[in-house]
Amino acid sequence: MTASPIRDLASFANALRGRGLTVTPDQVSEMAQSFLYIDPSQRDQVYAALRALSITDPGHRRIYDEEFRLFFEAFHRPGSTTEQHSRLASVTEHKPIIEAIPEEVTDETTTQAGASAVENVAARDFTSLDDSDLAEARRMVSTMLWQPSNFRTRRWAPNKGGRRPDLRRTLHGAIGPEGDLLAIRMKDRRIRQRPLIVLADISGSMERYAEMFLVFAHAAQHRIQHVEVFTFSTHLTRITPELQKRDPKVALSRVSTAVTDWSGGTKIGEALADWNKSWSRRMARGRPIALILSDGWDCGDPDLLGDEMARLARSVHKVIWLNPLAARAEYQPATRGMKAVLPHIDHLLPAASVHDLAGVVRLLESITGER
Amino acid sequence: MNIRQRSVRHMLSSVIPSSIQELATGLSKESYLAADDLTVAIHLALHLGRPLFLEGEAGVGKTEVAKVLASMTGQELIRLQCYEGLDVGQALYEWDYARQMMEIRLLEARGEGQDATARDIMSREFLIARPLLQAIEATADGSRPVLLVDELDRADEEFEAFLLELLSDFQVSIPEIGTVKAEVPPVVVLTSNRTREIHDALKRRCIYHWIDYPSPDLESSIVLKKVPGIEADLARSLAEAMQRLRAMDLFKPPGVAETLDWAESLELLQEGALSPRVIDRTLGVILKYKDDIDSVREAGLDALVG
Repeated sequence: MTASPIRDLASFANALRGRGLTVTPDQVSEMAQSFLYIDPSQRDQVYAALRALSITDPGHRRIYDEEFRLFFEAFHRPGSTTEQHSRLASVTEHKPIIEAIPEEVTDETTTQAGASAVENVAARDFTSLDDSDLAEARRMVSTMLWQPSNFRTRRWAPNKGGRRPDLRRTLHGAIGPEGDLLAIRMKDRRIRQRPLIVLADISGSMERYAEMFLVFAHAAQHRIQHVEVFTFSTHLTRITPELQKRDPKVALSRVSTAVTDWSGGTKIGEALADWNKSWSRRMARGRPIALILSDGWDCGDPDLLGDEMARLARSVHKVIWLNPLAARAEYQPATRGMKAVLPHIDHLLPAASVHDLAGVVRLLESITGER
Repeated sequence: MNIRQRSVRHMLSSVIPSSIQELATGLSKESYLAADDLTVAIHLALHLGRPLFLEGEAGVGKTEVAKVLASMTGQELIRLQCYEGLDVGQALYEWDYARQMMEIRLLEARGEGQDATARDIMSREFLIARPLLQAIEATADGSRPVLLVDELDRADEEFEAFLLELLSDFQVSIPEIGTVKAEVPPVVVLTSNRTREIHDALKRRCIYHWIDYPSPDLESSIVLKKVPGIEADLARSLAEAMQRLRAMDLFKPPGVAETLDWAESLELLQEGALSPRVIDRTLGVILKYKDDIDSVREAGLDALVG
């Protein structure tokens, strides 16, 4: 053990932070305290103890393992055990070392005002827009107004016009010389916003539409409480954390670094299967709406696509499918992929222009209902 | 001296095992075989006075930990089962409105209605204590009951925020009565099936442990311990078959609870060894979704026997 075990621990915590984990100063202090209850020379015990106090997700274990290996080599140098213990005991009586967590570096990019807003920019298909019009379209999409779609939860809260008597508050009013008149206070179910789950196809055929759609998803994330966004082409990537940056340019550039399968071929069924297996149990609570953008051109297995779509439809409240091709008047869902998913979709809408996306917003606003 | 320092002092004179080895022995005596890292996590939770947060797939033994800790330390187990919409009334306390109304009427009938004050109606005898308050009140004599908050992921975020506050200082302010403080913090075990992400702030307040499926060695030891009379070879082949099943892409992989059910069924059917025929007959014991049963049959039952 080195001369300063607590500094070792603090730099271990910093190493973990550098890898993207959060470790609070409280936790570092607990980690130091835990040495009083384990044998610091036993690697397994140190491993288990520090892990139980630092990570909060099984997915972080690999990172922890890598950093722990480095930490323990430095930590466990020859020295007498009693000496080490007494050093630790005296250290834990002191206040924890507050390690300054490095400030996040934010890009200061300013969004350019596009050319003067031409009304037909909103109506035109995205693929027909030139760069300056695109910038304008992006601006329009990111500033759309939303009213969130709500549903009733099982929680009750005081509400004058409610449907059920609130006994507790009624009783409070009943105490005292008020005679036989009882003012009955009411309560009603609390209203909450529906979560939104967005799945965007980013394969070759979808390119320009997907880009705009991600601007749309970014706007949604800053207006609705719970939005989860995924992209898929050859595999599924969750981009919710990347989209949380306020500035759309920064957010989208983070997305493009995070996503590795831009413009690949599409395997929609496989992507949905991945979502169902890994994410649906965690996100399908709260009766969400699923918003899927794809033209249905699929290279994967159509039976799988049908099955997985059915499963997804069962776990969410409503499925809205956005197909850029659906804007054309003569559109019929003819591709194998679209045919496979059609029975499980609640709404099929176009998504090729700013107007189309505004239509999506209106549809989302109109979806209510208990469950 | 804050509440956690008091509890550590108290610990030295209670029945909580003082070393990891003692804890492992104690758990084993209660027929709970824990992996080593789980034992260390439990040990730290007990000695640092932090709640223990257990996450993992269904059926790996999360709830069991609380039950075993209670019986091992000879303390009461107080269980709060979470569900969506769980609120303070159901988790902490509620007033006995019916009795209170009756009391008001009685006072009026006796002619004391004019002088009735809140103190007559809002006293402890009209309060129904629910699990969280029960746990706090049970510490009044210095004992540390085990508080199990089960399936926290089924409750909503408001409840989590409330629980976070409660777990920091174990005191409750009841507006009409006053503050109720715990003498010593109860042993708290929180479990989650991870159907939703619990807020980091709450997890960081606890000793966090993800319980993996056990290794075949550990699982066969568990079967041998909990299903008396079973042959060691059969226990081993069950554990190995389970491991193969979990490696398949099933919608709901079977947990240790299912392994034990399976072992007991085989004992009941007096089957001494695992074969495709036996598996075929008992597949419904371990798999609960038709899709999974179909996939396993398609993959071939002989593959499971190994």
